[in-house]
Amino acid sequence: MFDRHQDLKTIKRCKRGEEAAFAEILTRYRGAIYNLCYRMTRNGEDARDLAQEVFIKVFSLLDRFDESYAFSSWLFRIATNHCIDHLRRNRLKFLSLDGAVGKDGEEYELQFPGKEPEPDTVLQRKEAMEKVEEVIADLPPHYRAIILLRHDQQLSYDEIAETLQMPLGTVKARIHRARNLLQQMLKNRSYDL
Amino acid sequence: MKDRKNTEGQPLSCPECLEGLQEYLDGTLEKQRSLLLFLHLRDCTECRREHDQLKNLYGMLQTLPDHPVPEHFDEPILASIPYEAYRAMEPIRRERVPVYLEEEFLPAWIRSSVVRWSGIVAAVGTVATTWALQLPPTVAIVGAVGLVPAVLVALQGVGRRMVLAEQRTES
Ligand SMILES: [Zn+2]
Repeated sequence: MFDRHQDLKTIKRCKRGEEAAFAEILTRYRGAIYNLCYRMTRNGEDARDLAQEVFIKVFSLLDRFDESYAFSSWLFRIATNHCIDHLRRNRLKFLSLDGAVGKDGEEYELQFPGKEPEPDTVLQRKEAMEKVEEVIADLPPHYRAIILLRHDQQLSYDEIAETLQMPLGTVKARIHRARNLLQQMLKNRSYDL
Repeated sequence: MKDRKNTEGQPLSCPECLEGLQEYLDGTLEKQRSLLLFLHLRDCTECRREHDQLKNLYGMLQTLPDHPVPEHFDEPILASIPYEAYRAMEPIRRERVPVYLEEEFLPAWIRSSVVRWSGIVAAVGTVATTWALQLPPTVAIVGAVGLVPAVLVALQGVGRRMVLAEQRTES
């Protein structure tokens, strides 16, 4: 989806301190990273801060980037981890909303917020999208991230494995579970698909 | 992974169908299994509804609306970059030319200007004498050996310049 070769050329220019090269990377990736952060947090201000922090981090760590990997994988890994860290730090805020949080903070015992079931109307597409985004944001962070990488960023399973540094089998299993959970949550909230 | 043995043309049960549904929609399910799933979906309303819902969900996930990036997003980022530090590190980091193009690859005596210039003078002298005195051309060829050190150093220099220029245009 992203041009690995082109990225590498630009990164080489960044490493030489060429200002225009950094601007090019931003142009190429700011939308994707901002939207990833937005969908992880559902909050515009948090998303902006997180996405900016991600780029600042990436640009300051450029020397440590291993050029045998795709730059996009490295960037998405840093962004994903940064969002998950942020969500962990703010876990208390979500406790009351989302029910019990596991000791490691990774697996939530999901309790679906006690919303009144909505009337059985066919939702407009836009509304439906909003619902889907809302439900994604209520997935446990790790599932949220993997769903976004797969469907929103449309990375392949292999690219996700490289991004999250996980075995391919784990990636497949986790995506499978994440989708099941997502579908289940949508049903429990009586959202028509 | 239950009942995976049951793939030899047997119709799928509903749980088997549902289990394979995601891979089916991902397009990663093996061909034979895909066909069985397709046939099951054709005949089973329950599973087909599940399939349609999932497909719909995939479609929506794939086309979530983009949220516009806030204004002045780049500025604090670009302001934080230590350009000077990057520039200072550049000569250290720069990729080097292949070993055989490095000056030190040739022995010092070949590189010495005395050897190179005397070689050139000897070669030119021999060729000139050969021509003036109408000696056999083999004498001129032997004399031309004197050019070897100068030619080696020159070729190395040209090669080195080409590699560096290529590195520069590559980026
Ligand atoms: Zn069925």
